[in-house]
Amino acid sequence: MNDPLDHDLALAAAPSAAPAAPELSQLLLHLLKGVLYREEDERLWASLLRLQARVREQAAVLLLDLVQDEAEGHAFLKSRPDPDEAEGAPRLPRLVARRPLSYPVSLMLALLRKRMAEFDAGAGDTRLVLSRDEIAELVRVFLPDGTNEARLIDQVDATLSKVVELGFLRRLKPTAGSGQTARQERSHYEVRRILKAFVDAQWLAEFEARLEGYRTALSGSGSEPGAAREATDA
Amino acid sequence: MEHATLAMLRERHPAWRLLASAHAPLLASFLHRVFVAPNVRVMNEADLAEALEDELYALREQIGADAYPKAASEYLNDWAAPDKGWLRKFYKPGTDEAQFELTPATEKAVAWLLSLIERPFVGTESRLLTLFALLEQISDGTEADPVKRLDELRKKRDALDAEIARVQAGELPLLDDTAVKDRFQQFQQLARELLADFREVEHNFRLLDRKVREKIALWDGSKGALLDQIMGERDAISDSDQGRSFRGFWDFLLSSRRQEELAERLDRALALPAVAALKPEPRMRRVHHDWLEAGEHTQRTVAQLSQQMRRFLDDRAFLENRRILDLLRGIESRALGLRQALPAGTVMHIDAMGAEIELPLERPLHTPSAKPLLAQLALEVGADEIDTARLFDQIVVDKARLRSAVQGALRRQPQITLRELLHAEPLRQGLAELVAYLELAHADPGSDALGGLRAVVDEAVQEPIRWQAHNAAGETVTRQARLPRVIFTR
Repeated sequence: MNDPLDHDLALAAAPSAAPAAPELSQLLLHLLKGVLYREEDERLWASLLRLQARVREQAAVLLLDLVQDEAEGHAFLKSRPDPDEAEGAPRLPRLVARRPLSYPVSLMLALLRKRMAEFDAGAGDTRLVLSRDEIAELVRVFLPDGTNEARLIDQVDATLSKVVELGFLRRLKPTAGSGQTARQERSHYEVRRILKAFVDAQWLAEFEARLEGYRTALSGSGSEPGAAREATDA
Repeated sequence: MEHATLAMLRERHPAWRLLASAHAPLLASFLHRVFVAPNVRVMNEADLAEALEDELYALREQIGADAYPKAASEYLNDWAAPDKGWLRKFYKPGTDEAQFELTPATEKAVAWLLSLIERPFVGTESRLLTLFALLEQISDGTEADPVKRLDELRKKRDALDAEIARVQAGELPLLDDTAVKDRFQQFQQLARELLADFREVEHNFRLLDRKVREKIALWDGSKGALLDQIMGERDAISDSDQGRSFRGFWDFLLSSRRQEELAERLDRALALPAVAALKPEPRMRRVHHDWLEAGEHTQRTVAQLSQQMRRFLDDRAFLENRRILDLLRGIESRALGLRQALPAGTVMHIDAMGAEIELPLERPLHTPSAKPLLAQLALEVGADEIDTARLFDQIVVDKARLRSAVQGALRRQPQITLRELLHAEPLRQGLAELVAYLELAHADPGSDALGGLRAVVDEAVQEPIRWQAHNAAGETVTRQARLPRVIFTR
């Protein structure tokens, strides 16, 4: 008959026995799960500013670096680059997954990054919102000439969903009054500013190098169209 | 006003293009009604589209079903397109809905159209006086010679003294009605123009912002020179003529003494019969609130712009941006080369935005759903104190008691109405008991619910039935129900 009572007591005592930094735990858990945006949680952002050093310290244990952009108002944890194989250090499992990107997705990310750079250079607005058609227009030039409209749109939609899933685009909620029939065609996407932190100069340089690699492979393998283009280029 | 300039304006300026547009009457009347007249600065897409839809509906009723064939939201997007520039469409932080505001060009076109509609009369006196006052301010405010300044001040004092003396002598010169109307009309016009000007002020701030950004984006010099430039431009917005004048206005209007003074004088002016005869818009009384509201909006825009600018001017971000644009040029040209043979498979990697930690033990294991067999449960005596009173508190109407009451009454007489019965045997359980009586009365004659008795219901006669009950507060209240007459017989 005493058992339930003891159990209750144990439960009540547990919180005070834990290390008294619920704020730090909350921060670390949030950052481990994803990006912390200032505008989404001002309170947590304020505690990040206060506890920055401790967060860095704790994250370092997991081989993660804290990336914090005060001006943009976002923060996240980033994997440290893998140690050099030559050093013989054991490879540890990565905590943050590296997502493989197909060519269309990589290209769209790069083009969106460009659009954002232009947007920043041109206007004082913070939120870059593009319609699906505008995004399709960005990509169109880089697809084979023969692509028909319907296929192009299908492909753009598939790529769009992938980029939304990665977290770089956010589909706006359709407005109540407009587009009952043509909702899909009129859907709008916000290019999230976090894109700047992930698609950075280093990433783009690597992408450029890859593309260059494909190009040389294409022309070097002696395949007919590649060789022909090489000839006309020269 | 050269031919070439005007030709270009007609081609490019949104205000002129609006006037030349076939939609001008719709545009101007609608935007005036929605934005200008009620001093609305920003409106969200759904509300604006709904208002336009109503307007279009009314117009189609009036001029024919095919007058304006497109849907409201299409018109709005059309009007906000860069080649039209009659509305500004943007996304505010914190909402997924597009917002619209008037561009200064539209406001100008609307104001010009308004001026075409005749005014009752055109006052010239007050304008001349205003001009004089302005000149006076300029010359007084720039006079550096103390002797002349004192001279000027003494002259003013003498004039004031003379006026005081005249009033003391009982001579009160009053403005006549025409002069009052003249002045008030000008006040009204300037007050409206001021509201319109805010949009232009905001627009100019945006232009300034854009100019600075462009300059920086195209910067081709050394980093040191760039930093000099950045430092120089940092306050480009608030230190411009526009910025200073706006701040002056804002400080003036924000003083509470000024506000009270304004409100008081406005009230007095509006109370004058001559002014009332002009039928000023009711909004005029609150025009200083409108100014404050519009000014606040501008203020916010400026604050937002300079914050944005700081972000853009962040040295690191700026240099990264340049490198990124260079890289993107390379990527684009290579991607064009790969158009006919798109790379397949994985091309790049990107880090996820967080660690997806899925602990195997966190996953719920399969649990077969167990059917509890209550029959096999052994009940144990609990030590817990449970308030069992609630279980017994529910109303159960004892029908046997009711039946015996009816039977008892019928022993004395051949028939009795429910009302008479309840007079002798008042309801103890309120409505529930009454319903139980009715249930007895409607019981199938074949059943033994009534114990060999019968009941007739006379739908033609309504009988009120009263009883005493307790309300939630425990006080005794009388309740009443009206129902068809029920007669019990042997």
